[in-house]
Amino acid sequence: MFAYIIRRLIYAIPILIGVNLLTFMLFFVVNSPDDMAVSQLGQKYVTPAAIEAWKHKNGYDLPLFYNAQEQGSHTVTETIFFTKSVKLFAFDFGRSESGRDITTDVSTRMWPSLAVALPTFVVGIWVNICVALMVVMFHATRLDRWAVFVFVALMSISYLFYIIGGQYLVAKTWKLVPISGFNGDIQPWKFLLLPVLVGVIAGIGSGARWYRTLFLEESNQDYVRTARAKGASEIRILFRHILPNALIPILTGVVVVIPTLFMGGLLIESFFGIPGLGSYMLDAINSQDFAIVRAMVFIGSILYIIGLILTDISYTWADPRLRLD
Amino acid sequence: MTTLTPAVMQVTDLKVEVAETSEVILKGVSLELRAGEIFALVGESGSGKSVTSLAAMRLLPGALRITGGEVRVGEDDLFDLSEANMQTVRGERVAMIFQNAMSALNPVQTIGEQVAETLRLHTRLGGDALRQRVVQLFAEVGIPDAAARYGFYPHQLSGGQQQRVMIAMALACEPDILIADEPTTALDVTIQAQVLSLIRGLTRSRQLAVLLITHDMGVVKNTADEVAVMYRGEIIERAPVDEFFRNPRQAYSRRLIDALPDLQHFHESDVDEALLQLEDVKVYFPIRKGVLQRVVDYTRAVDGVSLQIGRGETYALVGESGSGKSTLGRAILNLEPVAAGKITFLGQAIHTLGRRAMLPYRKKIQVVFQNPYSSMNPRLTVAQIISEGMDSLGMGLSATQREEHVAALLQRVQLDEAYSHRHPHELSGGQLQRIAIARALAVEPELIICDEPTSALDVSIRAEVLELLQELQREFGVSYLFITHDLSIVPSIAHRVGVMQAGKLVEQGSAEQILTRPQHPYTQALLASVPRLDSA
Amino acid sequence: MKPLILWSDMLIYLLVFALCIFFLRLRRDPQTREHWRQVLSTRLGMVTMTIILVYVGVALLDSLHFRRALEPVAGSPSGEVFYNNKVTSVLDLMLGGMGDRFERTYSAPFALDSFEKQDMKDDVGHTYRDFPPLEHAGGHLSHPGERWGDVLTRSATALLWGVLFSVLLIAPQWLLLRRSPFPWHASWMTQAVVICLSVWLVNISRYYHVLGTDLGGADVAYQSIKGIRTGVLLGTLATLIMLPIAVSLGVMAGYFKGWVDDVVQYLYTTLSSIPGILLIAASVLLFQVYIDLNPDFFTVGLEKADARFLALCFILGVTSWSSLCRLIRAETLKISQLGYVQAAHAFGVSHQRILVRHILPNVTHIILITFVLDFSALVLAEAVLSYIGVGIDPSMASWGNMINGARSELSREPIVWWTLSGAFFFMFVLVLAANLFSDLVRDAFDPRSTTASVAA
Repeated sequence: MFAYIIRRLIYAIPILIGVNLLTFMLFFVVNSPDDMAVSQLGQKYVTPAAIEAWKHKNGYDLPLFYNAQEQGSHTVTETIFFTKSVKLFAFDFGRSESGRDITTDVSTRMWPSLAVALPTFVVGIWVNICVALMVVMFHATRLDRWAVFVFVALMSISYLFYIIGGQYLVAKTWKLVPISGFNGDIQPWKFLLLPVLVGVIAGIGSGARWYRTLFLEESNQDYVRTARAKGASEIRILFRHILPNALIPILTGVVVVIPTLFMGGLLIESFFGIPGLGSYMLDAINSQDFAIVRAMVFIGSILYIIGLILTDISYTWADPRLRLD
Repeated sequence: MTTLTPAVMQVTDLKVEVAETSEVILKGVSLELRAGEIFALVGESGSGKSVTSLAAMRLLPGALRITGGEVRVGEDDLFDLSEANMQTVRGERVAMIFQNAMSALNPVQTIGEQVAETLRLHTRLGGDALRQRVVQLFAEVGIPDAAARYGFYPHQLSGGQQQRVMIAMALACEPDILIADEPTTALDVTIQAQVLSLIRGLTRSRQLAVLLITHDMGVVKNTADEVAVMYRGEIIERAPVDEFFRNPRQAYSRRLIDALPDLQHFHESDVDEALLQLEDVKVYFPIRKGVLQRVVDYTRAVDGVSLQIGRGETYALVGESGSGKSTLGRAILNLEPVAAGKITFLGQAIHTLGRRAMLPYRKKIQVVFQNPYSSMNPRLTVAQIISEGMDSLGMGLSATQREEHVAALLQRVQLDEAYSHRHPHELSGGQLQRIAIARALAVEPELIICDEPTSALDVSIRAEVLELLQELQREFGVSYLFITHDLSIVPSIAHRVGVMQAGKLVEQGSAEQILTRPQHPYTQALLASVPRLDSA
Repeated sequence: MKPLILWSDMLIYLLVFALCIFFLRLRRDPQTREHWRQVLSTRLGMVTMTIILVYVGVALLDSLHFRRALEPVAGSPSGEVFYNNKVTSVLDLMLGGMGDRFERTYSAPFALDSFEKQDMKDDVGHTYRDFPPLEHAGGHLSHPGERWGDVLTRSATALLWGVLFSVLLIAPQWLLLRRSPFPWHASWMTQAVVICLSVWLVNISRYYHVLGTDLGGADVAYQSIKGIRTGVLLGTLATLIMLPIAVSLGVMAGYFKGWVDDVVQYLYTTLSSIPGILLIAASVLLFQVYIDLNPDFFTVGLEKADARFLALCFILGVTSWSSLCRLIRAETLKISQLGYVQAAHAFGVSHQRILVRHILPNVTHIILITFVLDFSALVLAEAVLSYIGVGIDPSMASWGNMINGARSELSREPIVWWTLSGAFFFMFVLVLAANLFSDLVRDAFDPRSTTASVAA
């Protein structure tokens, strides 16, 4: 088990290097630093001097990969690739184009993100399982067919409409909670309630439909017939036999997203004005702040890889048939 | 019928149909079970024998519907009971065992818990008493070290032990009736014999009334007291077991009995010329461990096998699942790298040949696989499937020649020419296996490796395919390497036999020698579990 | 009139052509035919297929672009014709100039007056503030009170026309297909509803703004209809770009195993570990910078928007192949172990031939299921991306842009709800139809869901 985790961590290194190279190529080879300077400065004020000044200020006046003017190890370290990309491995995210320290920003902004994403995640799974169980109890009846139709219809509504609808009904019409904003000190639940509610409802369609399929797949297994032959009631079979077996794919399927909960949700956070990493990314995209985007790509990849490892671990924990070596 | 004991369970005129299409599955089945006796329901796949048992217990899948009949257990007609009352019948008065114990047990619950659940549902036992009862049941069905195995999960047990757990679960509440649906089909023959003798023993000691559903006449002969043969949803013949085997009334029953091995007549072979020769062949699969996934050991799938197959001869390679016999077949086909040893075909070492250099030999060595459904590309027509080898091995035929050749081959395997435009899913298993044979024959091979070619087929069809293989051998002088787990079909085809266990060839010799005077204890055990007619 | 062929127009026609050939070829395989029969033998399958085809048809009509010739200006050298910079499509013609009737700003559905007050002068020159009347709505009425009565009578006439058109269109189908075993009547009902609705819409739009107008005064119904092309094209083109990558890599990884498999697995793990939305956003932004720096490449504004649109499709395709690749790899691994591939090896069939003849045809069901499933996902993604600001160019009509433009107006009193409703309705119908259809396709084609055979 331990050896397995070590091995997975070693495998993660080439992947992170790949991510890094890919983003680097995207940011510096497709568009040269000069292009970036032009777009940051705006077309009007472009003079060669201004471009040089911008590049110098932001550290883009170095060669891409190899610096022939320097000596020794500096030929490699005094390059854009090293200063901008390799340092990410040491969790040195540097400064954003607007001069803010990215590491500080990330460490303060991840908590509001988590405060929204974690309850959404937990409550969402719980609600989806409950809804799916209820539907499975009425399997092959008219209720079941209509429920599936409703699930598909719910899936077909854009996330944006859930947010807009939630804000309109709950906050504007019924005035139950504030429309948006976040305050960690005074009654944070008031601000969290609506985003979590919207997140959960938006997920019911696809989530419950998927879980229903999983439950039905399990209910076709031979051991269910064995349980019936034992004289167990349908409810008992559902809860004692089908549910524990179906929970394995459910849990292992969702574990991969747990680490990425830190990243928050782009849409939810921007609509509800939550100062998390999601809105941070959105702001970065809108202001074309590539330093932040790069850092977030790197963090996101690390979290995803951790998620993959957690998934494998969760398999062995949830399913007695599997033992890693 | 000489039994006088009253019926414990009586099924009368049971009718079942497909709910959607009203296609009739059971056309009025009647049978009685008596205490202390085993009633065997025999039939091939699709004859409706499993449906009979599931319908009697009201456990049919939703697609099927009971349209008539009654099932009496004691005073009650099971079809009149409420679902809640039915649940007290299941497990307490009538218990069931299913075919594949591995999938019939809940994979994430310990076996102790699963047996305990039956007791919890029908008795007031709890706590330590419950646990002790479970352990006692485990001991009774012959699970070694029963107390320690309470907390085991199903996958930690062998197939035979899993089936024993199923039996313990079924017997937990001391039912009067036991329905066993193909309880030994998924097991290796030696284990099969043990499980059957356990069921037989329990029938006598507990005075159970047993309904044994099986397709295997050998099982019937060795276990049952009374037999009923099912064919297309009907019981066509019913008799006490001795009488049935002595004097079957229906032609169909006769065919089923004839499929049992005849251990008096053997094929002789007098060929000296070796077509294929294996010298100390080893096939290893690496086992990797640790952080760096270093190869720490090897699975010795084939561990030093030497054998020789003569021209026009059939060599039967017998062994249980996992003994390495199929891997050996793949190694001969040069589809699996050989770790050590030598494979020579007509004097040429073929195991070292590359993909291209192997081509001329591909024509000479062909293969027929076990599962006819997966060995045909579902998207191609029969003609395309058969002519694939002719195309790729450059037989240099024109389109019309190829067509004629395909037609001739189809005729040779006793299929109509019109089949050439069909697709595999339109054909039955037996027909598909004939096409697989035709496909192999198309390139005029000298050796055909038959990897369990009949184990997916029903007994009556099995005999036809075996007969066809022998005819072709007489006609074309082709040799067979016949890989099988089923010793009972060996006498009807093989000239020589090799017995494989854990990658090693433990014994080989002429068919007569192996089947009448086995030397190795493993061969003796295999042979002992083969049902035979001559013991009657 | 001068035809203008955008890159995306060409691609979509190529795509439709390729799909037709693909389906015709598939027809030859009896199993595939059986699966399609299963899909289309349900009423739901017929209805959803009809709706999807209607959307695709609208998208195709909207992909035939041309520029109108301008009236020769006096003083210019004769013989030379100038073309309008505004690009028109065949669909615009069929909608009867719905897109040309601009108002000043917001107006509610069927309104006669604008939504916002404005300074106006009365006959004697006094300035006063009131809701100005709309230019293209209700001008024919002598009195505002007649409005609803007028709407009703015009609707009734339009519906009569609609029924007439429906009968004309459906009658030949009925003659051809009445003996067919498929539930065509469900499709005909859908067709009739669609025809009646569109005839009604085109007719009424001459006199009113059925779904009101947006901030820039454009007709919302027209905008929503123009969004169809964007949605349909994005959904198909992005998948089309993704398919060859995913299929070739997946099949090779699953078939050759060894180092090929390692490389492919490394590629898709790396790609899927990058948060998708960031990768898309970054790529789109970078492309936008490129467009901004090279404005000379495009003669009309629509071409620029089209380039960005294609880039978006390309980026979505390139970033989303990993999940399909994984599926195909797994399936290929499974098929490689099957008897028929082993038999092909035993016959010495070449790798290339095994891949083309045995493996590819047997993974097509996965490709098909993914194609239909991804379609709706992409349509939904478009809205989100446009909201983030990395989606469709704002000058191009799309549902995402409509939502994006409308969301800030929700706080107004009274609320501006119609732009959202227009986008919501057209998007919801398409995505719902696609989702329901993909369910049916999956049920029919996925071997796992058809194993409910009768055990005996």
